Amino acid sequence: MLLLELFWSFVKIGFTSFGGLSMIPLISSEMISHGWMTAEEVSDIVAIAEMTPGPLGLNCATFAGMRAAGILGAIVANMGTLSPTYTLCAVAAVFFEHFRDNKRLGEIMTGVRPACVGMVAGVVVDLVLVNYAEAGAVHFPSVILGTVDLILLLKFHVSIPVVLMLSAIAGVIMFGVMGL
Amino acid sequence: MLAKLYIQFLKFGAFTFGGGWSIVAQMKEIYVNRDKVITDEELLDITSIGRSLPGTMIGNIAMFFGHRMAGFWGGIACMIGMITVPMIILIMITSFYTAFQNNLWVASAMRGVRTAVAPVILSALMGMVKSAFKFPPCYVIAVAMFGLYFFLRMSPVWLVVIGAVLGLIMCEWYERRNQDVTA
Repeated sequence: MLLLELFWSFVKIGFTSFGGLSMIPLISSEMISHGWMTAEEVSDIVAIAEMTPGPLGLNCATFAGMRAAGILGAIVANMGTLSPTYTLCAVAAVFFEHFRDNKRLGEIMTGVRPACVGMVAGVVVDLVLVNYAEAGAVHFPSVILGTVDLILLLKFHVSIPVVLMLSAIAGVIMFGVMGL
Repeated sequence: MLAKLYIQFLKFGAFTFGGGWSIVAQMKEIYVNRDKVITDEELLDITSIGRSLPGTMIGNIAMFFGHRMAGFWGGIACMIGMITVPMIILIMITSFYTAFQNNLWVASAMRGVRTAVAPVILSALMGMVKSAFKFPPCYVIAVAMFGLYFFLRMSPVWLVVIGAVLGLIMCEWYERRNQDVTA
């Protein structure tokens, strides 16, 4: 039944996600509510997914599936995430000409996009509350490192994998060697 | 044919870092420029529909392309090819992560990485913002969905559905109003 539950969770994730980040809110709520990942692990998987090939949703599926039920779990979760592809898209491919100029799709996206922006902003706040705190208090070394990361990304346009690698190195030095 | 599609998408899948656009670029290189099996325009059509349908963008693009080349099973071959390498890599990483999660050095590195995740998502969010607010009410939708997600903890499934319905209503309303103005 665990496999079925995993599959269904990722079917929901698949059908309500429209590219990349829009998956994060649902992944986070599904994973945490089922106890398949902690909030920290959700952060970790977002980072891992950004550093490895493959889209975020599928990488999360593999990670959560592995954690919950081994390799079979990973396969089942991937198939769940891909369910819109082999159902909806397969149909759309047959009627491709009709879909190409479909006005409704564009109209739906006009509402879905701002909704995703709102939810993703919610996830950012969630992650900030978890990742920059320690034992219920603000952890300043983490805040400083996060601020540097933000500046590197926005001001100097450093690529995401590079920022993540630098943060890993900084983490080893600050938290491992210096014990901050 | 199916094997050929599978192998080609296996290669594509191995080289997608952070988002699906690199795959589109690779497909253009091979299928538009070299093999000339589809045109630039067709690839653009596939990409824009793949992106606007729910699910993983590159999975959808693989499905459309494969379907075009060899029907439904062609689509499946491309889709499975696309995910094979990332899945194997991630299975290995997950095993490693689970085994070494509590090792001091790995834990420290991951703690550093975690501080970067919110900024990474935030920077990507900035990119989304540009195309997300077509009409003024879109801002209201974004703020309302933030509240419903963060404070009321409503399921994102419903929020996406609500967003979709509001999108339809909003576009119809603006369209009618514009007709009135021109009439």
